Amino acid sequence: MKFSRLILKNILRNKRRTLLTISSLVVSLFLIITLATILTEFTQGHEAANPMRLITRHAVSLGFTLPVAQTQRIATVPGVKSVMPFSWFGGIYIDEKNFFANFAVDAAKLREVMPELKMSEPEWQSFINDRQGAVVGAKLVKLYGFSPGQRITLRSPIYDRSVEFMVRGVATGLDEKTLYFHHDYVNELVPAWAKDQVSTFSILANSAEDVPRISQAVDSIFINTDAPTKTESERDFAISFETMFGGVKQFMYGIMGAITFSLLLVMGNTMAMTVRERTREVGMLKALGFQRGTIATLFVGEALVVTTVGALIGIGGAALIFNWIDLSLYIPNFQSFVPTWVTLLVAFVVSILVGLASVVYSAYRVSGMTIAEALRSTE
Amino acid sequence: MPLPLKYNFRNITVRKSSTLATAFTIGLTVGVFLMVMALARGIDLTLSTSGEPLNLIVMREGSTAELNSSITRENLNDLIYLDGVSREGDQPLVAPETLTLIYKARKGLTQGSNVTIRGIGAMSNKLRSGFKMVAGRMFQPGLAEAVVSERIAQRFQGLDVGDKFRIQTSDYTVVGLFEAGGKAFESEIWVDGNSLASTTKRDTFSSVLLRANDQTALQSLAKRITDDQRLHLKALPERTFYEDQQGAASGALKGLAVFIGFIMAVGAGFAGMNTMYAAVARRTKEIGTLRVLGFRRRSILIAFVLESVAIAIIGVAIGILLALPLNFVSTGTANFTTFSEIAFNFRVTPDLMLWALIFGMSIGLLGSLLPSIRASRFKIVDALRSL
Repeated sequence: MKFSRLILKNILRNKRRTLLTISSLVVSLFLIITLATILTEFTQGHEAANPMRLITRHAVSLGFTLPVAQTQRIATVPGVKSVMPFSWFGGIYIDEKNFFANFAVDAAKLREVMPELKMSEPEWQSFINDRQGAVVGAKLVKLYGFSPGQRITLRSPIYDRSVEFMVRGVATGLDEKTLYFHHDYVNELVPAWAKDQVSTFSILANSAEDVPRISQAVDSIFINTDAPTKTESERDFAISFETMFGGVKQFMYGIMGAITFSLLLVMGNTMAMTVRERTREVGMLKALGFQRGTIATLFVGEALVVTTVGALIGIGGAALIFNWIDLSLYIPNFQSFVPTWVTLLVAFVVSILVGLASVVYSAYRVSGMTIAEALRSTE
Repeated sequence: MPLPLKYNFRNITVRKSSTLATAFTIGLTVGVFLMVMALARGIDLTLSTSGEPLNLIVMREGSTAELNSSITRENLNDLIYLDGVSREGDQPLVAPETLTLIYKARKGLTQGSNVTIRGIGAMSNKLRSGFKMVAGRMFQPGLAEAVVSERIAQRFQGLDVGDKFRIQTSDYTVVGLFEAGGKAFESEIWVDGNSLASTTKRDTFSSVLLRANDQTALQSLAKRITDDQRLHLKALPERTFYEDQQGAASGALKGLAVFIGFIMAVGAGFAGMNTMYAAVARRTKEIGTLRVLGFRRRSILIAFVLESVAIAIIGVAIGILLALPLNFVSTGTANFTTFSEIAFNFRVTPDLMLWALIFGMSIGLLGSLLPSIRASRFKIVDALRSL
């Protein structure tokens, strides 16, 4: 690149403009990456689902409960390795602002059905042995300072009860903002209508191939009872929640599209101004014998260098910030807030394309002028 | 002496493409802000217009929604005879209602959302305004029949007239579609309360809606019911009940709108500064001439700021034009208070447009300040000597 010095000189000629353009690029890319990360987190539930796990709920909706006795029948279905109640309690810790998920489970089966949950052996034992025991996700510890041995009271508006638990372990590896406790214990405290009832069951299959068959087999057992079931893979169950929000994906893509287009306008305008101001210089370069292609390359190179610098700062900055501050701690329902490699890569490619698109027309036009035309320019 | 406005507008039209690019950047910023706010506003307006001014909704103490509330028949009898409850003839305007959810797939998808099914009482319809059948007929009391909001029937599979859906072991037939003037219950399926109670084997109600004689009666009834330790109930004006759901349903969207709007505005502001610096640089000599003619520094500053604000106003107009068609778009999302679908229209309201104008003009103003100050500080000799 024998013209790299010339390109660099051109970029630094109007330092303020270059700085403003790069800043505009940086904030736009930061925004795009933030939105893409929100979208990633939004679909995280089904992307991270265990292909060997299924969830059973009432066939009509989660507005109905299932008798806990169904566990025994489900356990007999071929291919089922383990099954346990996995029942939404909706408990609130002190104030509604402190929202986190909490489930009643079979303590003895929790680690088998959810092998992703990691906890030390003594913690598992003390949780299983204490009926009042609870397992808290590691992020809850960060948020509320829970520690083993601490008593926590959760008030459930669904069951109209306040229940006290004892923290027995801190788990990592799966939904770290979730609390698990003994179904047996809470079952004694809930009102009569909720006795021996659960909102969902969690099933672990022997293999991923067993999953579709289990789903059909379980549902056919209960189809003509008072509590018909719908059993689906954990992935499908997660999607059934995601679709409740409606067209979030299209909505976010629309916004990201608008930001990208606005970035194109900003870059296009800057490059048009830059090229226009140098029209007479182009005339001189041409008079010196520079070819059209070389002149166009100079401008394209300039745009590419500016976008690359902006992209690296914006994308790198977003990646650093989100790895440094864990935003998921402060957003209810968010398990993590880290941009994926794909997001970062796509953002980079898009910014390069925007850089190219912004300069093509101006470079084409000005490099195609005759010497006389260009020198006559009054810019 | 101020510069004539004509000077600004001539300048705006000279560099059409540059002006347009800057205006469009501001337009997109304002447009995106408006669209997200219009979504939040649609939800807010749906909820804020849903309650009747004299209606009181009674739920179990400690419950956060009708869905997790329960009221016994004894409770209902206590409520009917309270002083201040409005009557039609000798019938009290009191409606016990039972709620449940049904998960339906959205049109074109395999998954969907929960839709609220409301089992209504004989008085329910008298306590609500705006209910209107638009297809088929009303359900017959006692039968497993249902009427569905037209909006909901359009958004979900299997809820048109003639379709059946199953609750426990009963098959309900959809016999009609209704609309409700954009209120929250326009996101519901209505069935006969007694039929739903026997289907779900439920012996309690979810909520009781009652009409008070007047505002004073409304307040005293609310206090009376909530304070009665024996009842273990809470009563609140229906308006408050719906308005309280706004935060959970639209708060995140408003936060998103402000966050996106702010960052896009910073980006657009930088771009606007570039355009204005270029304009100032191009007109250095002209500025010198103006100064020689006797225009003051302040007049030059104001002229450039005005020029930028004018471009911003064009941008705002573009943004509003981009967002306005949304007014006719119907959409839906999850209301997590009710754990079910809320269907509504985007609403680009005049006050939102005013906010958009203020927002856009601020971008123009802040973006032009530094370049304009620079323009006003040129020394006459230097400016005239420039190329």
